[in-house]
Amino acid sequence: MQQLQPSPLLPQQSPETATNQPDSAGGAAEAPPKQVARAMERLNQAARVIADIRLGADRLLEAMFIAAQPHQSDKPLQIFFKEDASIRQHLRDLRSIGKKLEESGVLTESLRSRSNSWGLHMPLVCPDGAVVAYAWKRQLAGQAGASAVDRTRLALKAFTDQKRRFFPHLDDGLKVEPASKKLCASKLLPEHGPDELSECKTLSDMQSRLEKLVPDMKVSTYGRLNWLERANSLPVSASEDSTEASKPIFQSSSKLRSGFQQTEVDDDKVAVIELYFPSVFRAVVSVNPAGSVDPDAVAFFSPDEGGSYIHARGFSVHHVFRRITEHASTALQYFLGLDNETALYSLLQWICSYETLFSKPCSKCGKLLAMDKKSALVLPPVHRVYRELPTVVTKTREQNLDMEAYHVGCFPDCS
Amino acid sequence: MPNDFPRDFLGISLAEQPSKYYFIIKMYRIVLEADVSIQMIMEKLQSYRSRVALYFEGSQYQLGDFRLRVGKVVLTHSENLRGIVMEVEYLPISSMEKARKVMGEFLEICREALSKRSLPGQFMYVEPNFGEFGLSDNYSPQHTAVQYAFVMAHMIATVQAVQSVRN
Repeated sequence: MQQLQPSPLLPQQSPETATNQPDSAGGAAEAPPKQVARAMERLNQAARVIADIRLGADRLLEAMFIAAQPHQSDKPLQIFFKEDASIRQHLRDLRSIGKKLEESGVLTESLRSRSNSWGLHMPLVCPDGAVVAYAWKRQLAGQAGASAVDRTRLALKAFTDQKRRFFPHLDDGLKVEPASKKLCASKLLPEHGPDELSECKTLSDMQSRLEKLVPDMKVSTYGRLNWLERANSLPVSASEDSTEASKPIFQSSSKLRSGFQQTEVDDDKVAVIELYFPSVFRAVVSVNPAGSVDPDAVAFFSPDEGGSYIHARGFSVHHVFRRITEHASTALQYFLGLDNETALYSLLQWICSYETLFSKPCSKCGKLLAMDKKSALVLPPVHRVYRELPTVVTKTREQNLDMEAYHVGCFPDCS
Repeated sequence: MPNDFPRDFLGISLAEQPSKYYFIIKMYRIVLEADVSIQMIMEKLQSYRSRVALYFEGSQYQLGDFRLRVGKVVLTHSENLRGIVMEVEYLPISSMEKARKVMGEFLEICREALSKRSLPGQFMYVEPNFGEFGLSDNYSPQHTAVQYAFVMAHMIATVQAVQSVRN
């Protein structure tokens, strides 16, 4: 005859003491995670108490079975009494846990729609006894995992986009690429190509050569602070700036302006190069460190724009010049990648090809204006070809720097 | 006292220049920019009175670097539509020579778009000779005032032509 041993799985403390912590009404003042944790704890306690009750019921049945056997002492009766007391206690415990769970909204859906739940839901005990608690647990863990994956995906996408924008020539797997490159190279066998580029080592060399090449343009150099003063004093046309108050200042600043162009800046302090095509555009190139010939940024602006945002990393208020600035950044990266030493001169030459921005039609469609479908803007051809540039330029020295011009949408993919 | 001095002039207010008032004498190719208070002075002096006034009002749109204004033309205190006026401005540059091709192509695009709508009438554009008015290649509010003077003259002429056909 076996005696059932009391199960060692009895909870250490009685449920009453376990929940005897400072507990405001329904846990309303606690943060959602704490509420949920507490609710889960109570559910576990309730499960343990229910298990105890089941065990007690088993013991009662055993005792009854024993009692049914003949020649028994009053042992079964004792067991009855003991189990009866124990089960009643368990039932009381269960009732109190149940009350607490009810208050905290676990047995009803009352707290589901609480706005301050941090996205967590109280575990729900369905009428058929199933506990819906794991949904949120899984959700939390899943969220942590998903956000890491999402973040990585976003980072990868950002990197590929940037790479495509600024380093398009680094794209692998373009089938047509090698063939077209060879074509361009064979077309030009410059006799004096390398010489011309090697002569343009210093900034003043470049300046004089460019001014000879493009008579309508003015190249000026500035130290970084000087440029800021100049940018702020640039006269703004009537359509750009409608505030009356600023007008009087410009009369005096135009005198200032001619003064600026006179001041000589030492070659070793030059940080900003300005290419000004009157009535067409103004391009600003910055070199880093000051005095070197390493370009690090370029931006295009309207000739009528003025203000402290006019610098090599600034953006024009006009769409056409913003587009050209983006394209120019890509070209700059290309020139730097090609040959660090001639990058500045190549860049400046390439910038000069924009003299025809408002007159030269697109080489593909033959029109001057075209609608860019992506941005719904009507633009002139803002693309100027920059690949294979140095050698092309020396050949067509007599004709002005005449790059092929394309609209954003007409730009052929292989070049 | 010579009799060949002009007896009337055109006075123009532009919405984008609220503190200015423009005088135009087309016959003599004169355009003048004055402060808006000149109207008050004229009123006080009783030296000139308004004979007819046209209102050009409508909506402004921006298509990228192009600013468009489309409006109706009405006489003061009247709802009769005299005509429709459209302003096209290319914002990035102010040199008229440099912008000529761009403006021309844009107008072509507009015309094409309009022709598909089969609306009655079409836009007429006559470029004034700005040089005769002493204006430079750089666009300015005075240029706008001169253009409106020509638009008004053109509208009056067409109204008179229609009337004479009726009669």
